[in-house]
Amino acid sequence: MIRDVTFGQFFPGHSVVHRFDPRAKLLLCLLLMIFLFLAGNFWSLLLLGAGALTLMLCSGVPLRLYLRNIKTILPLLLFTALINLFSSPGGTVLLQWWIFRFTTDGLRRAVFLSLRILFLIFYSAILTYSTTPNDLTDAIERVLRPLRFIGLGGAVHTMAMMMTIALRFIPTLMEETEKILNAQKARGADLESGNLLRRIRAMMPILIPLLISAVRRAYDLAEAMECRCYHGGEGRTRMKQMHFSRGDFVGTALVLLLCAGVLVLNFFC
Amino acid sequence: MPLLSVENLTYTYGRGTPFEKTAVSDVSFSVEPGEIVGLIGHTGSGKSTLVQHLNGLLRPQRGRVLLDGKDIWQNEKRIRDVRFRVGLVFQYPEYQLFEDTVEQDIAFGPKNCGLPPDEVRARVAAAAEAVGLPEKLLKKSPFDLSGGEKRRAAIAGIMAMQPACLVLDEPTAGLDPAGRDQVLSLLTRYRDTTGAAVLIVSHSMEDMAKLAEKLLVMHNGSLALSGTTAEVFAQADALVEMGLDVPQITAVFLELRRAGLPLPTVYTVDAAVDALLAYRAKGGDPA
Repeated sequence: MIRDVTFGQFFPGHSVVHRFDPRAKLLLCLLLMIFLFLAGNFWSLLLLGAGALTLMLCSGVPLRLYLRNIKTILPLLLFTALINLFSSPGGTVLLQWWIFRFTTDGLRRAVFLSLRILFLIFYSAILTYSTTPNDLTDAIERVLRPLRFIGLGGAVHTMAMMMTIALRFIPTLMEETEKILNAQKARGADLESGNLLRRIRAMMPILIPLLISAVRRAYDLAEAMECRCYHGGEGRTRMKQMHFSRGDFVGTALVLLLCAGVLVLNFFC
Repeated sequence: MPLLSVENLTYTYGRGTPFEKTAVSDVSFSVEPGEIVGLIGHTGSGKSTLVQHLNGLLRPQRGRVLLDGKDIWQNEKRIRDVRFRVGLVFQYPEYQLFEDTVEQDIAFGPKNCGLPPDEVRARVAAAAEAVGLPEKLLKKSPFDLSGGEKRRAAIAGIMAMQPACLVLDEPTAGLDPAGRDQVLSLLTRYRDTTGAAVLIVSHSMEDMAKLAEKLLVMHNGSLALSGTTAEVFAQADALVEMGLDVPQITAVFLELRRAGLPLPTVYTVDAAVDALLAYRAKGGDPA
């Protein structure tokens, strides 16, 4: 059932990670991901992994939800691992078969890169699980604000507004789709049988009303926004102000410390 | 044997997620052929979820739905046949219109039944007549009709399948008084001409008082009251407690009774007039 699919990844909660300032969360997650690529040895990589694990545990989101993300990237993970496993010439040869050579170096690189991808997924999941899509859009808008100095301020606001509206209407349209789907099923619409062409044609009774209602909604919304004198981002204030609290400072400092730790480990180990 | 019966039906949305909500819990009732049954309740009381079980759009998580004494899920592959026997008209059904002409749209259901073209044509004509759509409208695009006409065209789309039980979710929502009366009278007519059962989900107590013979009252997902219309409206206090109204005339009569006048419970203005006249004939105070 469509209703059962939760859109996006947001997992409701009130943990420290959830309450963290969305702007900082976005930037720090990006920073940590960059540092995943700067990590030059196992020690620094594992430090970042420990950081991810700590955040995951603090977020109050069940660990199995994080692990579920692995399933989607498993092919990529395996592919990377295999390529690296067999394409690294150095190190002791463990196994040789035809043109494939399996070396300690290859093994080391395969594990290293897989862990890197894994942690990358974990960090992005921490961000999306603990931040509502709307907060995330707001954060992106705020982070991109400096673009106004090169005349792109309006474009940033418009894009952010479009994203917010789109996000806002995804559940509405899903609900609408489900209603129309049920209504046509109640008239005996058969969506499951027949070949591809027949199935596409069978979708028309759902797509046409859905499109009509989406256009109608768009007009209604545009009118409602104009009635309330919406005229773009210029001079617009926000209902929900983001405040950078002391907790946010502490969190930021901790993450920066972690990054410094990565550099130190890179250098000394 | 009842036409349709529901036994201990329970349904929970989003089981195992933080958004879990029990919409229907342990509901049982039955509908006899030729009955007009009203299903009333607050928004979110589970009415819409309940009716979606009647034609197999939702599958009961616990309990059963019986049509002609047989569990509708007995043969999963034949569930589509159940939908032709139990016609469900959704809320705001005009949003499901999609064909080029009204005629084709009404024909969508009967065509899906697999009827021959002649039979489909005959059924479309009959259904259009039953809902009072003149022939010249049938060639028009459904999007050019007025609101009331669209609603009736959508209802005709279900009636053309000639269901033995017609279920309607808020059939009069958003219509003007003339449109409401039209829709309500065509429902009674459908019952009278076909002998089918009609189940109407509604907020409007006045409508139900006029139309329904039996009432089912849902509250927080369970069946709080059920019985004949008179029996249910007699329990006005319970209805008010659930945040529901009784028809205005019933409320007036309850007040009069509280003031000490020996009057019966009524729920239509006609019955009220009769009761008052009878009271006067017995020498009561005309005030």
